[in-house]
Amino acid sequence: MTTTTTLRPADLAEVRDAVRDTPGRLAVTGAGTAANWAGELDPVDAVLDVSALTGVVTHNPGDMTVSARAGTPLRALVDELAEHGQHVSLDAARIADGATLGGLVATADSGPSSLVYGTMRDLVIGVTVVLADGTVARSGGHVIKNVAGYDLAKLLHGSYGTLGVLAEIVLRLHPVPQRTATLVVDAPLAQAAELAARVLEGPYEPVALEWVSDGSGRLLVRIEGTDEALPARVQRLREVLGGGDEAAGADDPWLRHAELTRGSPEAAVLRIGARPSVLPALVSEIAADAATVGLGTGVATVSLPPHVVAEAHGRVHAAGGTSQLRYRPPGADAAAWGPPPSALPVLRALKTELDPDGRFGPGRFSPWM
Amino acid sequence: MTLHGGVRQAFERVLDPADVLSDPVKCRAYECDGLTGYRVRPDLVLLPRDASQVAAAVRVCHEHGVPFVARGAGTGLSGGALPVADGVVISLARLKRVLEVDPVNRRAVVQPGVTNLEITAAAAPHGLYYAPDPSSQQVCTIGGNVAENSGGAHCLKYGFTTNHVLSCEVVLPDGSVVTLGTDTNEQAGPDLRGVFLGSEGTLGITTSVTVRLLRTPESVRTLLADFPSVASAGDVVSDIVSAGIVPAAVEMMDTLAIEAAEEAVHAGYTVGVPAALVVELDGPVEECDAQFELVKAICEKHGCTRLHIAGSPEERAKIWKGRKAAFAAVGRISPDYFVQDGVVPRTRLAEVLDRIAGMGTDAGLRVANVFHAGDGNLHPLVLYSAAAGETERAERLSGEIAELCVEMGGSLSGEHGIGTDKACSMPKMFGEEDLATMHRVRHAFDPDGICNPGKVLPTPRLCGERPGKYKPHPLEETGAIERL
Repeated sequence: MTTTTTLRPADLAEVRDAVRDTPGRLAVTGAGTAANWAGELDPVDAVLDVSALTGVVTHNPGDMTVSARAGTPLRALVDELAEHGQHVSLDAARIADGATLGGLVATADSGPSSLVYGTMRDLVIGVTVVLADGTVARSGGHVIKNVAGYDLAKLLHGSYGTLGVLAEIVLRLHPVPQRTATLVVDAPLAQAAELAARVLEGPYEPVALEWVSDGSGRLLVRIEGTDEALPARVQRLREVLGGGDEAAGADDPWLRHAELTRGSPEAAVLRIGARPSVLPALVSEIAADAATVGLGTGVATVSLPPHVVAEAHGRVHAAGGTSQLRYRPPGADAAAWGPPPSALPVLRALKTELDPDGRFGPGRFSPWM
Repeated sequence: MTLHGGVRQAFERVLDPADVLSDPVKCRAYECDGLTGYRVRPDLVLLPRDASQVAAAVRVCHEHGVPFVARGAGTGLSGGALPVADGVVISLARLKRVLEVDPVNRRAVVQPGVTNLEITAAAAPHGLYYAPDPSSQQVCTIGGNVAENSGGAHCLKYGFTTNHVLSCEVVLPDGSVVTLGTDTNEQAGPDLRGVFLGSEGTLGITTSVTVRLLRTPESVRTLLADFPSVASAGDVVSDIVSAGIVPAAVEMMDTLAIEAAEEAVHAGYTVGVPAALVVELDGPVEECDAQFELVKAICEKHGCTRLHIAGSPEERAKIWKGRKAAFAAVGRISPDYFVQDGVVPRTRLAEVLDRIAGMGTDAGLRVANVFHAGDGNLHPLVLYSAAAGETERAERLSGEIAELCVEMGGSLSGEHGIGTDKACSMPKMFGEEDLATMHRVRHAFDPDGICNPGKVLPTPRLCGERPGKYKPHPLEETGAIERL
């Protein structure tokens, strides 16, 4: 076995030099929180570790934008922004594990509040990326409304390090809500789906609406707002839900929610997207050990034995949905991707244009490309 | 050169021959979009009736190397739908059906020729609406909104077209049909839908669009406030944001814009005041009421000279009618005008408006301002008289204002696109490597360069050349310059 070189650039110029001066195939890594996601990496000649590429470049509190180096852990950024009453409206589970900005973009991650705030794609307003030939390209900028040129950030979103190395990311920020409340209702999935539909039909404006199951099922409904208005809104929400306990103190149900999306040594994790109306039945069909189901977003994360992953991909595809492997237990053979999208020739053409020698992330999209 | 008869026959084989226009007089109607200063008469105009005819027409273009330009209602203001002389225009005006409204999943599937407002009209019976709302929403089409990633007043809180389109069926420049995006935000692999959105018709033609619908807010509160200066109105915007309030919309108008709008629609604006703000909050009634009091207090703190709160839906509609009619209304106070579209960081609004005023004075031209203050998206209207020979001066001033926005840390465009108008300004905002990378993306979708050539990117490399299929510049042939 050959020894793999690890490169640890600390700024943009060093990233560029590392890419340009290192021959062969490269893998990009940050905090390593998604190392077992998507397709398994083929052997590479060097690993580009961006964990030293950290820190805020510019924070414009009045404009509610921030740019930071891609290796910055999001939780560190959140701490820094909190002083200004601002935050990045993303609550992906692995932020707590130290996930970096670049990693969160590259893996297209999101959490329950994507119901309102979207995924990283909706928060990123600019990127600087290093291509396989050392080209440094930038798109977007520091203004939230911007349609000049192609949105390269979107192209990198979900690319798993196969199209370029993210070096710097500009994000739009939101004010930290004055107050947040979560109502918890014990309910099996079908009943939770009915309750969720009622909440969505009314003026309750939940920011997250998730069913979680690790044996028994619970519906979690989160709302946020002002100190003055929230108590009355919680009361109205409780009425439509026909009850519900308000989560308080150390018993944070969202921590358990996050835990369920992480997988375990034995279980694979599959991320599923499908129309909310078909999602509960779809999740019920899959032999899942644990699940979180976004009843408004149409996004579910399910834990299941690795040997049934391929079949699950097929079921999701048949239901018009999309799926990807989010965690592969050590040594397990589980398909990363389901049937390819119709736009696969475009994806391949983009890969050829931006990384003609196939240097970045070999295997990540196997067998698609 | 014009398209030879064989190509025309090929189009007539895949479309009804009556839907292939070649009469120069009829084709002239398609020679420009809302940017009327640039005109090119296309050789042929195609009027497909469904998605399969669009794909068939594009396949003919691909086989014969014919450049094509897709066109919706033609309301674009940056020349994005400017035809190519030896090419065809593919009009999507006949693809105007709402294919599905799915209230359970809060989404709709529509053809590209459906207008922005028609989507909301189709969704309204279900208590839903489509959030992005360009001022031209009564006439602009969703296909054009997708191409330009158009915005509007309510994008500050709710996001832009790219945040509300789940997927697009797209005819690629080789005539193949693909779906970009999915039924949810979750996608397997890179977000091609996001790259396509805002690509200004240069990566393919969308034949159906699946959009996200939002629940109509329970409560909407709107106020109109006058201020003694643009700076004080700008301070109000900053304070609202600092207070942690994300308004549904914050729009600002200056003296000239107010005068024009009031003259046109009698919305109740105060003629003569230096600046007016339209602030709208929406959401659950409790939140709206609490935050609205705070907004009123902020307005008063900054010397608001008049505060008018819409007391009924009719009054609210009137306030908005004035704002949305402002562009057209400027025609009442000037024989001609250019609409510019640039973005600056919100905190630099007062500074940039001051600079614009100075530039207008230097050029001897009036500039009216009506814009989305919440997100820094300016729309300076450069007023001029073509008859008085001011066109060139006005065009130069308009371009300089766009580039000033870049100098201020902003963008050349917030919603109208780069199109033909500002392709040559792109190097002011992006470096050579940035633009070369965008070329590579474009090449992946359109290797033959036949899909809306000459738009967005400064291609051919030397601006001033005629848009069309790539031909080496004479200097390139001599080796004096290099194409990236």
